[in-house]
Amino acid sequence: MKEPCVDCDKCEELLQPFLDRDLTESERIEAEAHLSGCAYCNTRYRVEEDLRRFVHQAASERCPEQLKQRLAELAREA
Amino acid sequence: MAAVSETTSDGSDARRIASEARDRVRFEEEALALADQVYRVARHLAGTREDADDLVQDTYARAFRSWRQYTPGTNLRAWLLRILTNLNIDKGRRQQRTPDTQPLEEGDYYLYNRLEQTMPDGQASEERVLERLSQNDVVGALADVPHDFRDVIVLVDIGDFSYADAAQILDIPIGTVMSRLHRGRRILKQGMADKVGER
Repeated sequence: MKEPCVDCDKCEELLQPFLDRDLTESERIEAEAHLSGCAYCNTRYRVEEDLRRFVHQAASERCPEQLKQRLAELAREA
Repeated sequence: MAAVSETTSDGSDARRIASEARDRVRFEEEALALADQVYRVARHLAGTREDADDLVQDTYARAFRSWRQYTPGTNLRAWLLRILTNLNIDKGRRQQRTPDTQPLEEGDYYLYNRLEQTMPDGQASEERVLERLSQNDVVGALADVPHDFRDVIVLVDIGDFSYADAAQILDIPIGTVMSRLHRGRRILKQGMADKVGER
């Protein structure tokens, strides 16, 4: 496994704003330049993307049908 | 002349009443269609499923009472969530305030590095590392994130609200949404890593 270097530390700082598309142009270029040659950071960026999808999916619960019926009743009562 | 004027007035009232009844029906239909999305957020803002059920019911009861305050064509989902978050605060759920000093959260690579360490040498891969996480790890770790950070994560990462909508719903500046989201995600990842480590 490649050991992280100083540039990796900087790249780690840019991970969230990079995925949120919230970097300045120069920061984005800096991140992409590093990512193009760094398997260590590349892997962690891709996992972060997958992780966000996983968290969204894992934490999403549908409204129970019984509660939906109750809400419809509330509409009629109001 | 008086009779003519009354007739005109009656006709106008009837049209107004009919129009309002149509608006009301449309409001109900649109609000009820958002129940899954409202519940998805409520489930993680409230502590338990029972609390989430109560919170959603109270939100809809208030929404149906004050539906005229909603401006048609604007973001109904954000309007409902604004009611929901205010009710949640009124219910005293926020007795546990975010401490003034937070433990220094780990960096963004922390979760991956911790998960990688739990796997035999050479077996770590992007897919397999995430397989170490369960739905319970996510839900449990999310519940442990301090409220101020969790609210933002739930709205943006689970409720799919924009930063601007989250700022409006929580009545905080957009910069605060972004900084809380950034730190909150790190706290969440640290919590998920701890859940895996406990097994």
